[in-house]
Amino acid sequence: MLTPDVVIAVAIGYVGLLFLIAYVSDRQARNDKAAFLRSPFIYTLAISVYCTSWTFYGAVGSAARNGLEYLAIYLGPTLVFIGWWFVLRRLVRISHKQRITSIADLLSARFGKSSRLAVLITVIAVIGIAPYIALQLKAVTSSLQAIAGVGEFPGRTLRGIDEVGLALAVAAGMALFTILFGTRNVDAKEQHHGVVAAIAFEAVVKLAALLAIGIFVIYAGGGLEAIFSRAEAAGIDIYSTGNFDDRWVAMNVLSAAAILCLPRQFQITVVENSNENHLRTAGWAFPAYLLLMSLFTLPIALFGLTSMPAGANPDMFVLTLPLSAGQEGLALFSFIGGFSSATSMIIVESIALSIMVSNHIVMPIMLRVTQGHGVASARGVSRLLLNSRRFSIALILLLGFLYFYLTRDSDALAPIGLISFCGVAQFLPAIIAALFWREASLKAATSAVAVGFVVWAWSSFMPSFQSSSPLVAQIMAEGPWGLAWLRPEALFGVESIDPLVNVVFWSLFLNTVTLVVVSLFTSQSVLERVQAALFADLFRRPGAGAPAVIRGSATVEDLYFVAERVLGAPRAKALFDGVAGAPPPQFIDRLERELAGSIGSASAHVMLSKVVSGDAVSLEEVFEMAGETRQVIEYSQELERTSAELRSTAQKLEEANTQLRAIDTEKDEFLSQVSHEVRTPMTSIRSFSEILLEEQRLTADERQRFVKTIHQESLRLTKLLDDILGMSALDHGEHGWDNAPIEAEHSIDRAIEVCSALARQRRMQLTVGSRAPSAVISGEPDRLCQVLINLVSNAIKYNDAVEPMVEVRSRTGRGRYLIEVADNGPGIPKAERKLIFEKFARGQSGGVTAPAGAGLGLAISRQLIERMNGKLELLPGTGPGACFRITLPLL
Amino acid sequence: MERRKLESAALFLSLLGVLLILPPLAVVFQLERRLFGVPFEVIYLFVCWLGLIAAAFWLGRRLPREAEAEPPAEGED
Repeated sequence: MLTPDVVIAVAIGYVGLLFLIAYVSDRQARNDKAAFLRSPFIYTLAISVYCTSWTFYGAVGSAARNGLEYLAIYLGPTLVFIGWWFVLRRLVRISHKQRITSIADLLSARFGKSSRLAVLITVIAVIGIAPYIALQLKAVTSSLQAIAGVGEFPGRTLRGIDEVGLALAVAAGMALFTILFGTRNVDAKEQHHGVVAAIAFEAVVKLAALLAIGIFVIYAGGGLEAIFSRAEAAGIDIYSTGNFDDRWVAMNVLSAAAILCLPRQFQITVVENSNENHLRTAGWAFPAYLLLMSLFTLPIALFGLTSMPAGANPDMFVLTLPLSAGQEGLALFSFIGGFSSATSMIIVESIALSIMVSNHIVMPIMLRVTQGHGVASARGVSRLLLNSRRFSIALILLLGFLYFYLTRDSDALAPIGLISFCGVAQFLPAIIAALFWREASLKAATSAVAVGFVVWAWSSFMPSFQSSSPLVAQIMAEGPWGLAWLRPEALFGVESIDPLVNVVFWSLFLNTVTLVVVSLFTSQSVLERVQAALFADLFRRPGAGAPAVIRGSATVEDLYFVAERVLGAPRAKALFDGVAGAPPPQFIDRLERELAGSIGSASAHVMLSKVVSGDAVSLEEVFEMAGETRQVIEYSQELERTSAELRSTAQKLEEANTQLRAIDTEKDEFLSQVSHEVRTPMTSIRSFSEILLEEQRLTADERQRFVKTIHQESLRLTKLLDDILGMSALDHGEHGWDNAPIEAEHSIDRAIEVCSALARQRRMQLTVGSRAPSAVISGEPDRLCQVLINLVSNAIKYNDAVEPMVEVRSRTGRGRYLIEVADNGPGIPKAERKLIFEKFARGQSGGVTAPAGAGLGLAISRQLIERMNGKLELLPGTGPGACFRITLPLL
Repeated sequence: MERRKLESAALFLSLLGVLLILPPLAVVFQLERRLFGVPFEVIYLFVCWLGLIAAAFWLGRRLPREAEAEPPAEGED
């Protein structure tokens, strides 16, 4: 029999189970045994703390009242997680680097470690979350009442206890539970492995419970089709016409903002994250979890609306549907699921908020009041922290209860949650600016959040007290002092839009405008600039800063306090062993390096400089040092680049030098060759002419021969000089002719004609092989003929075969025109193949002893052909003889 | 795909997701018709949702991993 007594006993038993899980996981984590605790799926399940009683009970109520609207609460976070690469990854990375412990810490760190901003954020968060806590209290209270209400015998336990008393008892129980659960110890990183494990377990429980109810409803309702048809027949608008309106947009914006800004989501997603890569899994797995959670919401709501008596609270359908069907086991499971949702939310939210309250409000006040005494010992700090957290948790639940008490007449769950969403959404512009906009200033962030908060408090938070306060009711109706345009739900006289859209728009609009405008007109402090640069260059800089000794006067206590917070008590104790009085600079330096090992050098530096001197001068110093470091880095990079340039220039110079030297040698050789070539004919001309002048007794025959020799030699000399001149002209790019379309075959004909005489003289065969019928190329006919004559006469001159022969052939193909001159002579040895196109190179191995040319022929020929855009090459033949090929592009 | 393309794909996926669930695209599927007994727009939203999850799964395995150092060593109590 399901009575409140049984239910309460089961709830307490369930809480005990959670304790066990947390305890075991904590032990495992401490011994480094629980690798699964650090798995991305545990992380994802823990993020699912987003699904609270609002999801478990309220979504069905929301679907019953407003159709598809409930989905917006899950689609917004889905989109944020789908885009994890852009926002969440940055948040996690910067928070790991800067050891961020809460959302207040994040904003304060970015905006120059401002404690005032941290206090403001904390206060807003605590006030903004109160409705959310109240929602959980209301849900648990209602679920207990729902079970008590249907029992055959009203439970004795709840007799005489009204809703308020029950809620107070639930709040007290939850506070006690959370204090026992979350504040057993203080972790330097604010990570709670045990809590995360318990939350992940709860995530499984609530999902299983909701899926079980969903399947039960589908079964009981006779399938999806039947459920929707019956709802349609009952006059319910199942098509949710007009659902995708401005309210839909506003709710998507709110839920997307909430998944980033809610303190508990920040705690789980960012602070408890042990590995950035877990986001890869969470990026799809969390949206998948949300999808499963909302899969059956609409069928449950519609089935409830058609099968439950009119006036039944749709928020409790998840519980009352199985109860009315007599499924007590399922109802109990459902209650546990709802209880799971509520407890997980309250635990994580109040832990997150208590960290903020104790770190940003209680600790600074205590430090100021006690002047730093009483916190010098690690135990003192720990005790103070734990006590302030316990106090904060109690305070947060008390505020939640107060809100519940003052607004107890409102019935639906979802609207209460939306008030909280809208409250924390005021952090969104500042967070986005912190991550992406370097110029955002502290003053801007503070005033923007404050403006957004005021608008929210006026038009979203205050209206919820309408029923309990006549004054609020009057303001709602007429506006303050009769100023109608300030009515909370119709700000600036805009009455036509939904109140939620109204407050979301005006609060975020004024918030963002303030942030941007004030940033543009204020300047950042030095520390702000340092921090802004750290946040903005998150993925650019490897995070190293130059070590620099901070001078100043700080007490050991101050430093120890810092060290202990960062390094933990044992390491700090070991480090400070034997240090007393004013710490020497070397010690501060060493401490900084130790701290840098944990939190990165930049933050360690800034942190210590703040502690050591605590005034603006040292910050200026820090900034200057940072600036100097950057300058030095830039300068050295510059130097490196310059020296690299110098190196490459030097190398180029060396190459040029080598080339010049080679050319110089070539030129010397050329000159000596030329002198030699000129000298030989000149000598014979001189000697023959001397003989002719001096010897009078020569016969006419002899005279005739000598004159002929002189003539021949002078002809050879002229030819040589012509060659050299032509060569030099080609070398200097003086072409002396313009390429024009010509018929190349005519040039071949002419060359063969010229050479056939020489061939006959040597008694060798000049054969003409296959010929292209016609080939029009771009060139100069005389020069082409000259090249061919040169090739053919070479082939004739150097040929010492028994039956010497030279073959000229030509063909066209693939847009090219080929002329080949082949002989059966000695061929050209491999070693000389490269050399033959050089100036003054001559075939050496040929049997012909007196070469008749100057060795310029092939060099000139090659240049001439190149001038016609063709090429002259020696085919790498294997057989006897050589084959030269001219390749010219066809027109 | 190379890094920049993957990042662009991730950005595109997020923006596409936003457009898919907001008017006017969402309104296009308000057909007052039912599929498997369920109103069309409900099916539409859940199919979009599934698609986004699948795409995020695909991308999550491919987006570049940096040699990310584990967060600093554990602190003590």
